[in-house]
Amino acid sequence: MSILEIRGLEAGYADLQILWGVDLEVAPGTLTALVGANGAGKTTLMRAVTGQIKARSGTVTFDGDDVTGLAPHVKAERGLVMVPEGRHLFPTMSVLENLEMGATPKRARDDIEKNFDLVYELFPRLKDRLSQKAGTMSGGEQQMLAVARGIMSSPKVLMIDELSLGLAPMLVIDIFRALEKLLTTGITVLLVEQNVRLALGVSSYAYVMSEGKVEMNGPSSEIAEDEGVREAYLGI
Amino acid sequence: MDTLAASLLDGLLIGLLYGVAAMGLTLIFGVMDVINLAHGAIMALGMFGVYLLFSEMGMNPYVALIAVLILGLLFGVIMYFVAVDRVIDESPLASLLSTFSVNMIIIGIGTAIWTTSTYNVEYSLGTVETGPFTVTGARLMAAFLAVVITALLYLFLNKTRPGKYIRAVSDNRGAADLMGIPSHRILALAFGIGTAIAAVAGGMIATIFPITILGGSTYELKSFVIVVLGGLGNPLGALIGGLILGAIEGIVPVFMKTTWVPVIEFGLFVGILLFRPTGLMGTKK
Ligand SMILES: Nc1ncnc2c1ncn2[C@@H]1O[C@H](COP(=O)(O)OP(=O)(O)OP(=O)(O)O)[C@@H](O)[C@H]1O
Ligand SMILES: [Mg+2]
Repeated sequence: MSILEIRGLEAGYADLQILWGVDLEVAPGTLTALVGANGAGKTTLMRAVTGQIKARSGTVTFDGDDVTGLAPHVKAERGLVMVPEGRHLFPTMSVLENLEMGATPKRARDDIEKNFDLVYELFPRLKDRLSQKAGTMSGGEQQMLAVARGIMSSPKVLMIDELSLGLAPMLVIDIFRALEKLLTTGITVLLVEQNVRLALGVSSYAYVMSEGKVEMNGPSSEIAEDEGVREAYLGI
Repeated sequence: MDTLAASLLDGLLIGLLYGVAAMGLTLIFGVMDVINLAHGAIMALGMFGVYLLFSEMGMNPYVALIAVLILGLLFGVIMYFVAVDRVIDESPLASLLSTFSVNMIIIGIGTAIWTTSTYNVEYSLGTVETGPFTVTGARLMAAFLAVVITALLYLFLNKTRPGKYIRAVSDNRGAADLMGIPSHRILALAFGIGTAIAAVAGGMIATIFPITILGGSTYELKSFVIVVLGGLGNPLGALIGGLILGAIEGIVPVFMKTTWVPVIEFGLFVGILLFRPTGLMGTKK
C-alpha cells in the first residue's frame, strides 16, 4: 500500500500543458527519488500535488483519501508537506519563528518539543542562530532551515524539491547525512534532486521524468545500473 | 518661546493620534499590498460610532471606543471577503477600485443618514496644567491610547501565533500555505485589524474635534503622508511619521498662516516620494 499515489496527473500553466499523465507511488517509510533533466516538470508535479496549481485531470490519493482538489494548507494540515524549490523562507522572521511557523498543523503543535529536539540534532548550526533573521543567513543555512521547517510540521510525507541545489560540496554531504538520519525516524520522503548519484544512493525507489512524463521507474539500484541513466545523468 | 513650545506639544499629542490613523492603512498595505481607499470613510464610521453610542445610548466615549474596535474588526473582515479577497491576486488597480467603491457606499449612506452637517461629542475630561502648559484631557488621553494601541499591535504581531501568521503571510504567502497556514483567513484578520485601528482612530478624533461624515478624508490624506514618511508597511514608522506631521502642525502656525500647513505637508510628501521612496526610516519594498 502506498501512502501517496499519483494517477494520470495532467497539469500546466495557462494554455501550456506540462504534465502528461504522470503515475507515481510512494511507499510509507521509504525515500523515493524523482530525477530528470532541467525543465522535465518535476517542480510542476510537486506544485500539482500540493495544490498550488490545479490538476487538469488525474488523481492524488494521500493516506487513503482522494485529496486532488484540496488547497495546499489543507493538505499540510493532513500531513502532506513540501519544502519548495528556492527555500521560500519567511525572511524577516527569526529562525525560531520560521520553525514555529512550520509547526502549524495541529499534530505538529502536539509534537513541537520532540520536533525541536530532532531538528537541532540534525542541524546543530540552526540552534546557534535562533534569533537571527532567516533572510540574513547563508544559502546553506537557509536550505537547512527550509528542510527543518518542513520537519517541524510533523509530515506524514515530506516532499523536498531540490535538496542540494546551490550548496557547496561539503554542505551537500552534510545535508544528505542529515537526511539519512531523518529517515531512521520512519518518515516518508519524496525527494527531487539534481545530484542523481546521491539521490539514487539514498533512495530505495526512483522515478526518472522527461518532458512531463515518467520515463522509467524501479528500485534505485536498478535505475543506477541503467545504461541510458548512466550516460545522461551520471556522466559515465 | 512658550507659545512655540505649547503649540509643539499640542502638535505632538495630535501627531500620535495621526500615527494611529495611519497605522491601519500601513498594516494593510504591508501585509497584502492593498491601498485601502475606504480608510477615511472607515475613520468617519468610527467617529459616528462613538458619537451615536455616546449621544444616543449614553455610553462613556472611551468605553464606546472598545465597541468601535470590535465593530471595526467585524466590518473589516466582512469587507475583506466581500470586496478584497476576490481581487487580491489581480493588479493593484482592481483593489483600488473595489476599496474605492466601498468608500463611495459608506459616504453615500452616511450622507443620507447624517447629511454633511457637523456633530459634536459633548464630553470633556477637563484640562491638565503642567508648568506653563495647559492641555486638554481629551488630547492627553488620545495620545496615551495611541501609545497603548501601538504597543498592543507590536506585541500581537511579535508574540502571538495569529500575529506571527500575519507576518508569515506578509513575507511569503505561498510558503505560508505550504506550512498549513490558511492565508486567506489570515489576510482577512489583518484587514480586520487595520480597519479596527482606523475606526478607533476616528473615534478618538471625535472625542477632540467636531465631526462630519466627510471628515475622514482629511485624515486619510494625512495618513498617506505619514505612511510615506514612516515607510510603507511599517506600523512603528507610522507613529514616528505621525509625530513628525504633528510637529509640523505645531510649529508652522507660530511662524506663518495655518493655511501653509498642508502646503508644507504635501511638499514633504512629494519630496520624500522623489528622493527617498522607501520612506525616511523605511526599508521594506
Ligand atoms: N510559472 C510558470 N509559468 C509558465 N511556465 C512555467 C512556469 N513554471 C515552469 N514553467 C515551465 O514548465 C516546464 C517545467 O518546469 P519545471 O520547473 O516543472 O521543471 P523542473 O523539472 O522542476 O526543472 P528544474 O530541474 O530546472 O527545477 C518548463 O518548461 C518551464 O519553463
Ligand atoms: Mg524544479
